[in-house]
Amino acid sequence: MRNGLAALALVIGLLWVVVGVSAQAGQPSTSRGEWPHYTADLKGTRFSPLDQINASNFNKLEVAWRFKTDNFGPFPEYKLEGTPLMIGGVLYTTAGTRRSVIALDGKTGELIWAHSYREGKRAAAAPRQLSGRGVAYWTDGKGDERVLYVTTGYRLIALNAKTGAMINSFGTGGVVDLKVGVVRGIGQQINLETGEIGVHSTPTVVRDMVIVGSSMREGATVPTHNNTKGLVRAFDVRTGKMVWRFSTIPGPGEFGNNTWEDDSWAYNGNVGVWNQITVDEELGLVYLPVETPSSDYYGGHRPGDNLFAESLVAVDLKTGQRKWHYQLVHHPLWNYDMPAAPILGDVVIDGKPRKVVAQLTKQAWAYVLDRVTGQPIWPIEERPVPQSDVPGEKSARTQPHVTKPPAYAREFLRVPDDLVDFTPDLRAKALEIIKRYKVADTPFNPPILGDVNGTLGAIVPATATNWPGGGYDPENGILFAPAGNTFGSRTLVAPPQGFSDIRYVSGIGGRPFVEVFGPGDCCAADAGRRTREELPQSPAAVKAPPVPGLAIDGIPVVKPPYGLLAAMDLNRGTLLWQAPHGDTPDNIRSHPLLKGANIPKTGQPGTSGVGLMVTRALVVMGDPQITTPPGRPRGAMLRAYDKKTGQEVGALLMPAIQSGSPMTYLVDGKQYIVVAVSGGNYSGEYLALALPDSELTR
Amino acid sequence: MTGTRARRVLGAWVVAAFAVVSFAAAASVWDGVYTEAQAKRGEAVYVQRCAVCHQPDLEGGDMTPALVGGVFTANWNDLPLSDLFDRIRITMPLDSPSTLSRAQTADVVAFLLKSNKWPAGETDLPRELEPLREIRIQALKP
Repeated sequence: MRNGLAALALVIGLLWVVVGVSAQAGQPSTSRGEWPHYTADLKGTRFSPLDQINASNFNKLEVAWRFKTDNFGPFPEYKLEGTPLMIGGVLYTTAGTRRSVIALDGKTGELIWAHSYREGKRAAAAPRQLSGRGVAYWTDGKGDERVLYVTTGYRLIALNAKTGAMINSFGTGGVVDLKVGVVRGIGQQINLETGEIGVHSTPTVVRDMVIVGSSMREGATVPTHNNTKGLVRAFDVRTGKMVWRFSTIPGPGEFGNNTWEDDSWAYNGNVGVWNQITVDEELGLVYLPVETPSSDYYGGHRPGDNLFAESLVAVDLKTGQRKWHYQLVHHPLWNYDMPAAPILGDVVIDGKPRKVVAQLTKQAWAYVLDRVTGQPIWPIEERPVPQSDVPGEKSARTQPHVTKPPAYAREFLRVPDDLVDFTPDLRAKALEIIKRYKVADTPFNPPILGDVNGTLGAIVPATATNWPGGGYDPENGILFAPAGNTFGSRTLVAPPQGFSDIRYVSGIGGRPFVEVFGPGDCCAADAGRRTREELPQSPAAVKAPPVPGLAIDGIPVVKPPYGLLAAMDLNRGTLLWQAPHGDTPDNIRSHPLLKGANIPKTGQPGTSGVGLMVTRALVVMGDPQITTPPGRPRGAMLRAYDKKTGQEVGALLMPAIQSGSPMTYLVDGKQYIVVAVSGGNYSGEYLALALPDSELTR
Repeated sequence: MTGTRARRVLGAWVVAAFAVVSFAAAASVWDGVYTEAQAKRGEAVYVQRCAVCHQPDLEGGDMTPALVGGVFTANWNDLPLSDLFDRIRITMPLDSPSTLSRAQTADVVAFLLKSNKWPAGETDLPRELEPLREIRIQALKP
């Protein structure tokens, strides 16, 4: 028997060598145990057909290696968000506050090469800093292999994948200055050093092209609505020459320009494409998840629907020309920017094969469209919505409401059904708190001018899915969505004199004004850009009481689950299951007000901030929060779920929360999972897990 | 071993034993590991350097974690105080990290301890990493 197993192992090994050799001759693929794109493939699935790691052995996984990223920048990073690529046994990813690029041996984690590019003030002024999400890979299949990434200062750089050396024939000495050609106002080139633009997502490589999106500052409290205009560009991966450009704010004579009334296209900005871009090579279509215009919560300076803000736009792969678009939110007022890569799936609906694109959102709806035509697969209804009473605001009369699949998390607050009911006293307190807010039976509850002595804000979902996005099992047509399941509130205030040309920004009357900085809007290598003078604050506001939040002494006003993983059947448009994700937070489990109450597994509210991967065997996602429950050491768990039922089939202790989405690959017959962990006391680390050899030969 | 040397070695052991006893006596944040005056100094630094993001009431914002309450204490639960000290010293304030002195950092940590209702005591929180390693953050009173 032993010999038989050894022979089998040898055959598998030989097969692997053969497959490995042929893989080198062609293009990398998940079917060969590789992970060649940030989202595994161009379709955004985060799916790998590997199944060596499965429900029967997940708990036997061991740390194969760790890679600490502390020294890839002048100080360690505590928000490592990368998902490495794996091609030919080598991992490629970004690391550290410098956003260095590293190549690691997939079996051992040994550093093969490292590259960094020093940008000085340009990096320090960048709106999207830190290490970002990773890199893109290209090969001609004949030995020319390249790694491409965007620096914090918004330069596209091409590296030799074997050595890490910059490729001289690409752009200028290996660099394309992405700020060249980026505009604000009416065609006004932004400043190459201080101009506002950057991106965290990885470029998308398709055929011989590399496609790059754009991102601006977090838009809650920005100094001007006339900031940088969003765009997407494709470049020749060999030369760095631009192939096409799609401007997300259409100019005069272009389709959609009339949705910016009063010529407001001319003096408004943002509308970036900050998430991963996906592609259907066969159809020749590129899917762009387009984001919010400036500013996030007030649209008084941009009357109209504001195309292509908060739209899914399909453009021609060869020309960048728009083929269709679908606007998810008209005249955006909620920062419901598209927070996830569009996911492409082939399913059978009512007996007919359909090519669909599914878009996960902050408002907990999966918008499922025919990806050839852009038409909804199931009805999406334009329904009248509550109107804004903020001076100068002209909110859209109707908004599209998804009818199928059902919302995968809470899309609006149901009073009193959604309110906490651990005890009658808590329910009563929750009802009191909610009286101070404006609620609506739609996610499109417009922001109000909140006041600390009056109505505090308009209740909206606190973000169902965010930047890590979801995943998809193409073999079963199942769409997976991580989701936060709690609420936040939107309130506006006039900014202090001289702060902004926007009439109202995020804030509340009667309290000191606070500028909102985005994550990574601050803290790269060479940081130190803040020069703004202290804001004038009224003495009364400084002494005003704090705003009571949507919690009772730390207990959310809503029932659990606070965070969940959801699965949807895209063949039928149904919700398959929702599983609370993450252990009950310590402060809930041991809360003095909850003594004696029966508290279920609540899941964790930060679940919008973690991502997943799907394999033939499992869906895997880590905790967003540290806990110390009885019976195990302090830490966060990496969890494995059954894809059909949502049952947790395994969980492993990690030293810190999952800060970047997991990926998986196979080298020499062994499957590995790599996940970025960091946060709190734990600086950025790529953690590699694999089964012990004893489990492999059994 | 000469008598003098033996006495010296014995003396060292006594000091070491005493140190162990005193660390054991102040093993968690519940044992009064900072002073009111230090927390006051820390508050002044906080208002100037930290409050713009973490808010004057330490409740955090849309993009910034709260520094008071159950989520904060759970996140740091069971870790040595040196970890919190070092995280602040190395990365804060985000826009100009490592610009607080060790003494200022210790003062800010004292202010955070006070804000989370951990009791004050008779001696300042030290600014050296080694003794901070001996103080454990415990969310719940043991």
